[in-house]
Amino acid sequence: MNFALSAIALPLLAALGLGLAGTPRQGALANAGVCAALLALTLGVFWHGGGGLVAADRLAALFGVLTGLAGLTAALVNIGYVTAEAARMPPRRWRLYHALFQIVLGAALLGLYADNAGLLWAALEAGTIAMTLGVSLYRTPRGLEAAWKYFILGGVGIGLALFGTMLVYLAAQPALGPGFAAMSFAALSAHAAAMDGALLTLAFVFILFGYGTKAALVPLHGWLPDAYAEGPAPLTTALSGPLINVALLAILRFRHLMQANAAAGGKAMEPGAFLVTLGLASLFLAAFSFLRRRDARRFFGFSSIEHSGLAVFAFGIGGPAAIFGGILHMALHTLLKSGLFLALIRAASLRGSAAPGQYGFSHLRGLAHASPYTGWLLGGCVFALAGLPPSGLFVSEFIIVSQTIQRAPALSLPLGLGMLLCAVAVLRHVGPLLFARLPQEKPKPAGRAMHLVALHLGLMVLLAFAMPAPLVLLLSQAAEALR
Amino acid sequence: MSLTFSLAHLLGGVILLCGFLQLSQRRLAAMITLYQTEALVLAAAAFWQGYAQGAVDLYFTGLITLALKGVLLPWGLREIVLRFNMVRAVETALPMALSMILGLALIGIAVLVVLPTTASALSLTREDAAIALSVVLLGLLLMIVRRNALAQLIGFLSMENGLVLAAIGMPGMPFVAEFSVALLVLLAFLVVGVFLFRLREHFDTLDLSGLEEIERRGR
Repeated sequence: MNFALSAIALPLLAALGLGLAGTPRQGALANAGVCAALLALTLGVFWHGGGGLVAADRLAALFGVLTGLAGLTAALVNIGYVTAEAARMPPRRWRLYHALFQIVLGAALLGLYADNAGLLWAALEAGTIAMTLGVSLYRTPRGLEAAWKYFILGGVGIGLALFGTMLVYLAAQPALGPGFAAMSFAALSAHAAAMDGALLTLAFVFILFGYGTKAALVPLHGWLPDAYAEGPAPLTTALSGPLINVALLAILRFRHLMQANAAAGGKAMEPGAFLVTLGLASLFLAAFSFLRRRDARRFFGFSSIEHSGLAVFAFGIGGPAAIFGGILHMALHTLLKSGLFLALIRAASLRGSAAPGQYGFSHLRGLAHASPYTGWLLGGCVFALAGLPPSGLFVSEFIIVSQTIQRAPALSLPLGLGMLLCAVAVLRHVGPLLFARLPQEKPKPAGRAMHLVALHLGLMVLLAFAMPAPLVLLLSQAAEALR
Repeated sequence: MSLTFSLAHLLGGVILLCGFLQLSQRRLAAMITLYQTEALVLAAAAFWQGYAQGAVDLYFTGLITLALKGVLLPWGLREIVLRFNMVRAVETALPMALSMILGLALIGIAVLVVLPTTASALSLTREDAAIALSVVLLGLLLMIVRRNALAQLIGFLSMENGLVLAAIGMPGMPFVAEFSVALLVLLAFLVVGVFLFRLREHFDTLDLSGLEEIERRGR
């Protein structure tokens, strides 16, 4: 059984069914069922990754499982969300919402598993369209503004990425000739040395800015905080992480082509400088943007920009160890962020409503008293985001920093400063979020879905500090191959 | 130089000219007409490349370009202009002359960047890629210098024409027809989005300089 193809087809087919029938609650339940099946299928990809256009390598399979897990957690929290918010939209639009939920998952998996630059592009395009429709679902003026911004920026990014993809194809002509081989990552990687280096450099600039838009790198990050803050929370926040991963992995794969070409004496430039610059810019923009954010979803949106920037910075430093750190950072951040957003949604609904605009930090205070389990989980997630031990991010950030000191010592100063500023800005919120005393409050139950957030947190710590040997092997082989 | 080269270059040149002229137009109707011309010439270029390369899927690309971008999209855009009463002049963010000078500079950059880096590629592809990159950059410039949502949309559409022009010029590239369909889906969502969401209702006009509202309220 070709698990990769089935894992892509299942959500897309399910989207059709979810889009056509069912009440909001039925839709949410069916959605969760499909996500559970999807997680099982993504696990199967390790055994059979397919061949031809959709051929998942082990790295793609790993991120596929993370996507499936994020999807399942989001879908389970989504049941409570839909039950509480059902009156805000007509049933038809809830059907569209659930269909979009599945399309985003399907697009992310297609982008991960595709062994073809064109399919990858198509997947990100589909993901962008679905996400934009998701952001605009509530039809509020601010939601429409955010969607329009997303559409224009995302559309331009998609356009640039396509141009870059075509230039890569052109650059591969001397090595591979016309046809599908010149778009397959496996073939391109094997023949990187024979590609046209100058053209590859030009292509990489377009790819970087094109997929960089989807990965929310500065200066193309503008859509992300608005999109996070204005759409239906489970869709636009929790499922955004997997799409960002697809874009980051795409950048990593194209970077590898360029690096391999340069290392083999081709005419390509070293890609490091581009990536390091964009990575640091993202880090510092996030560090200074944290200060004045009052809306928690915007705040954590900027934190996604920060961590995207860190991963890209690690790719720019280069070498197997730094890439190992970058990939690990992406994986752990996805686990943490999807857990964090779901705890946040739950916390907001404990305070009355999980609709957009109800996520002000002033509104979400003293959660340790309001609902101890939710509050402590959310506080734990926010604390972990700062990257201090025992957070898993500590491990990946430690690898990145130590590699920077080893390979490009001068860069460790701005890197350390940026990370410190971000950590301080994030930690500032932990205290008020947990301990502010509000008068006369009875603790409320957290709901069973919160165990999943605990699972995410636990997994993140476990993966970082007691990583099982097969995973170490998988990651180091992937990092070695994409060096 | 065979007929293949000269005709492909002529068609590419006309597309570039249309993209450039859009910078100088104040009225939406004129921009739409230019876009329509651009799309029709693009369809012709796709047919010609399909014939020259002997590739059947390029005929398909040409056909959908002709039907959807040459006829349907311009019709939809004109409907929007009429319905929202936007026949009047368009606000620009930069003076017309300055934006045209910038456009010229962008074309220069595109040629200077693409021609030296593609020295080893086939000569037809080289010049086509330079023209296509110019059209893409001009489309982006148009999106920057216009404040009106519909004018920005036309800039986007024009940029997308440049992408299709690049795709049909690549020798034996797979998925060209699929790419153009996928791009069309994006375009259709954009046009239908402007139409259905009736931004006008929420923004009062289609002027997007008010997009800063989110910023004022503090993110």
